[in-house]
Amino acid sequence: MTFQRPILWIHEEALGANNPALQAWPEAPAVFVFDTCWIQDARISRKRLGFLYENALDLPLTLRKGDVAAEVLAFARRHQADGVVSSSAVDPRLEQIGEAIDAELPLELLDPEPFVELPRPPRLGRFSRYWREAEAVVWEGYSAAR
Amino acid sequence: MPSAASPPINGDLPRQFASRDALNTLLAQEFPEAEGELSPIRGGREAAENKLRRIDARSYAKSRNHLNGAVTGLSPYIRHGVLSLPEVRDAVFARIRNRDEGGKLINELGWRDFWQRMWLDLGDGIHHDQEPFKTGHDAGAYSRELPADVRAGTTGLACMDGFRDQLVSTGWLHNHARMWMAAWLVHWRRVHWKAGADWFLEHLLDGDPASNHLSWQWVASTFSHKPYFFNRGNLERYSDGHFCDSCPSANSCPLEGSYDQLENRLFAPMPAIRETGNNRNQQRQRRSSGGASAALARPKR
Ligand SMILES: Cc1cc2nc3c(=O)[nH]c(=O)nc-3n(C[C@H](O)[C@H](O)[C@H](O)COP(=O)(O)OP(=O)(O)OC[C@H]3O[C@@H](n4cnc5c(N)ncnc54)[C@H](O)[C@@H]3O)c2cc1C
Repeated sequence: MTFQRPILWIHEEALGANNPALQAWPEAPAVFVFDTCWIQDARISRKRLGFLYENALDLPLTLRKGDVAAEVLAFARRHQADGVVSSSAVDPRLEQIGEAIDAELPLELLDPEPFVELPRPPRLGRFSRYWREAEAVVWEGYSAAR
Repeated sequence: MPSAASPPINGDLPRQFASRDALNTLLAQEFPEAEGELSPIRGGREAAENKLRRIDARSYAKSRNHLNGAVTGLSPYIRHGVLSLPEVRDAVFARIRNRDEGGKLINELGWRDFWQRMWLDLGDGIHHDQEPFKTGHDAGAYSRELPADVRAGTTGLACMDGFRDQLVSTGWLHNHARMWMAAWLVHWRRVHWKAGADWFLEHLLDGDPASNHLSWQWVASTFSHKPYFFNRGNLERYSDGHFCDSCPSANSCPLEGSYDQLENRLFAPMPAIRETGNNRNQQRQRRSSGGASAALARPKR
């Protein structure tokens, strides 16, 4: 899927310059939306909002608050965008917002760089199982400077 | 500081602030329901990089269980992607002379990755007991409400009130403090882990439902073979007696006792554990059907 003029949806799992959407589309208009429902339902304190805000200010973003999907779609209309690019999220809440956006306008999700790339999905359930498969692969990236 | 890519229109939140106080005021106007003040811990790349530069993997390995140990304080930045886990991993690699020096810290980064993978697997299932309690008490025996004295920090236990104050004013707590507070709330106060976990997420700058809820469940024993608990001696040791010295309850401390004594006091004899149908059925279909057979070894006692 290649967009001509996408906008970027930056969410709270990827408020860094290494966000793959920002890297792929450095010139595209980008938006971060404070999710007012979540803030109210989860009683999110001001210090968490301030922390998110300060992270967001470091990036070339427009900041909004409200219903996230609706705000992202409005931002897309404001820029006559033909699609939305974002980074894939782990949080089901963000995933659902992504689905709501995608129902109106195509959404492309880019994967952030993984901590460790394993040949097949590791066995979970216990950390020790996962780590038995992952640890050696993580350390492959280390070459001791001797 | 980069400026916004698009010219502002009505409803855009401001990007220019004369001071941090001005940000505080703006947040009070825009989000009147969000309680408290800003944290002294600042967001942004520069603050994150300062912490990244101060990583000391060798002292970390020796001292990480102590409240004043050489922990990194990176969790809020990692949680929100200001720093990626690969970036932190590489910063550790660049600072160590051999693999041994970095083993512990890399291991902890692995925990972060592991919980995130568990979340992908379980989805909203992490909000529910993964297994029955192994405390001898039924899930219904645990209060669903956070007690008012805990929320207010007026329990009379200097340690717990101190952790509460740090949580509420800074939004960050040392791992050991999180474990103690969770264990005390669940096992001594008999509060359901979810009430405590939700309260933590109101405040933690690194608040992450996966790391948080699953750690609470690990402490509670709904995601492990046995409950995590501790005693006064353990807390005193890793906090350098800092709390006990000035505690109004020092002579009537509920945390006092050997592990055997506390075990008898806190937990009821266990009925045979039945494999009850559990909440994993509530997993969303899209997520892997693979069994997450719980039982983690985290965090260490
Ligand atoms: C009850 C309870 C609730 C918790 N809630 C959260 C939470 O909401 N968000 C969160 O990020 N961590 C949580 N943790 C894990 C851990 O306490 C924090 O990640 C850690 O204390 C953060 O401080 P640090 O950055 O100095 O960690 P360091 O010890 O310096 O570790 C470096 C990084 O490794 C990761 N890490 C270390 N320990 C753990 C761990 N046990 N689990 C997952 N990642 C880890 C973090 O990203 C951390 O920044 C919780 C632990 C408990 C016991």
